Amino acid sequence: MTKNETLKNWIEQYSESLLRRAIYLLSDKVEAEDIVQEVFIAAFSSYDSFEAKSKPLTWLNTILNNKVADFYRKKYKSEPYIKLDHFFDETGSWKNDSVLNDWNVSNQESELLDNQDFNKSLKDCIEDLPSRWKIPMKMYYLEEKKAPEVSQELDITTTNLWKILQRTRMQLRECLEINWFSKS
Amino acid sequence: MLKKIIHIFFLPCSKATLLMEKRNAKSISPKENWQLSMHVKICKWCKAYQEKVEILDSILKKKWFGEEEVDINTAEIQNFKDKVFRKLDF
Repeated sequence: MTKNETLKNWIEQYSESLLRRAIYLLSDKVEAEDIVQEVFIAAFSSYDSFEAKSKPLTWLNTILNNKVADFYRKKYKSEPYIKLDHFFDETGSWKNDSVLNDWNVSNQESELLDNQDFNKSLKDCIEDLPSRWKIPMKMYYLEEKKAPEVSQELDITTTNLWKILQRTRMQLRECLEINWFSKS
Repeated sequence: MLKKIIHIFFLPCSKATLLMEKRNAKSISPKENWQLSMHVKICKWCKAYQEKVEILDSILKKKWFGEEEVDINTAEIQNFKDKVFRKLDF
């Protein structure tokens, strides 16, 4: 197969998967389409560096991750400033007791994962996070990446990545508390 | 009162919850790990939070949300492919 034929094949086969991943990471269809288009252009121009023994989709996903990281770095040039005063007082102690509510899920975690309403609440809570925090969190969990790897890609310090994860998890916890656990 | 003092001088909850992230990712130092364990022993809020962190972490690890639920239809995907074909002049 010629280079053009291979690329054509890849566009046919992998556009959907790449688009879905890009839309998930960026929460923006237009932005996602632009980036996936760039992925194919980059794949076309660096085709010679593709090693036939690796899977095309794996290679394309790596390019996509790099493009998303570029996008993030360009958009958020300065290190993030993460405030926790919504949750903690000036001594660093919890402001309220809602964290003590019993979720009662120790043995039912898999049931939760199968519960469509719970998944919807969780998804909504994730989408409510600001992009600046959401993108690193999604990249961290996607393919279970390691923190130094993600912070290097996004050009933020590892300390700030911990803070972002801490802040997003606190918000997710609170959001689920309000929208799921207190109702179910 | 003693608890308050320990919280402020030893490790505040705002810091303990950060160390939980490091512990989750196995990037915590032995000293931090010890500090966190001591904190969680005396702090019921952080103990409760830690259990929830573990639940959230395990849920997010098992399932990453979105890919199959992303709202995009066949026509949009086809449009996109056509656009890329034109762009690459295929």
